[in-house]
Amino acid sequence: MDTCQTGQAELGLLIKQGAEARIYLSSFVGRKCIVKERFSKKYRHPILDSKLTVKRLNAEARCMTKARKLGVVTPVLYGVDPVLHTLTFEFIEGHAVKDILLEFGSNGIVEERLNDIAAQIGIAIAKLHDGGLVHGDLTTSNMIVKEGTNQLVLIDFGLSFTSTLPEDKAVDLYVLERALLSMHSSCGDVMEKILAAYRKSSKQWSATMNKLAQVRQRGRKRTMVG
Amino acid sequence: MQSAKMEPEVALLNASLVPDIFPVLAAAHKALVSKSRESLTTRTLHSELVYNYAASKHISESLKRCGISDQMSYILAVRFNASDDEMTSVTNLINGKEIDLEELEPRSNRDQILKHFKIPPQELAISSLSDAITCRIAARDAL
Repeated sequence: MDTCQTGQAELGLLIKQGAEARIYLSSFVGRKCIVKERFSKKYRHPILDSKLTVKRLNAEARCMTKARKLGVVTPVLYGVDPVLHTLTFEFIEGHAVKDILLEFGSNGIVEERLNDIAAQIGIAIAKLHDGGLVHGDLTTSNMIVKEGTNQLVLIDFGLSFTSTLPEDKAVDLYVLERALLSMHSSCGDVMEKILAAYRKSSKQWSATMNKLAQVRQRGRKRTMVG
Repeated sequence: MQSAKMEPEVALLNASLVPDIFPVLAAAHKALVSKSRESLTTRTLHSELVYNYAASKHISESLKRCGISDQMSYILAVRFNASDDEMTSVTNLINGKEIDLEELEPRSNRDQILKHFKIPPQELAISSLSDAITCRIAARDAL
């Protein structure tokens, strides 16, 4: 059992560092996996910091298992370590939707593939929302298309929470809309395709869609009139 | 109810609840980590494996459901760091015929698994039984 060498835990090969966590590539009983390590925030009191981080870790694990139960494809959770502040997941072979759309932007759109991806996104979010789960960070870098099966996998539930409020669901969709507008406008109106699939699969879409119209009117460089 | 306190120490699982070896490995990994931190919930490493596999916080219920009883005729024996001699004595402990691990999948009791781990049809549509069980083993303490 050698996770601890000379006091510093070797989590694997560092492949990404974000604002909240570091991502390592490793193996779990023989299978390729991802280890997500949530940072300790040094400015916090150490005991509080540990408690808060573990709380966030558990929330992420809970939300992922809830998403799976609702039928949304997420990576399989292999382990949760409250001492090292890590989550271990299955490694998903494939490309992030962000990269696929950027490629469409520069090399031309494959209409059929784009429609398929957009539909899958809409259906997945609809399942989450109907089940009372809000993802919290819906961007194209948090969606992976699995190699071979072309199945959409949602990742990073670090900001997700349970809510049935149309407001929260609308904001969830709005975040995605803004992300698509800023990065992938060369792919055409992907959001419309996503919303169409969302409307078809969700049982509570009308309240959310109404709210979305309101949310769009807020924000920067918008005048709140009427 | 068996909780594996014998020589050689071995974990005995109800094999009908095991569709695949991977979730057992995940439970084993978890048990090993707990042991290395001196934070076992059950009395031994091997009983911890059984407890982890059940993916429930209720200890005696888990050992009862996923462990074996005297009448059971389909058992998976698991031992950590086993030498050949130790595995032979485990084989002698059990009155039965040893079969290949590949038999786990066809001989598993799907309905019993769905019921015990509370796997809904929506989840089954997107996941294998093995993955569903592994998630539950991993997330048990977070719930």
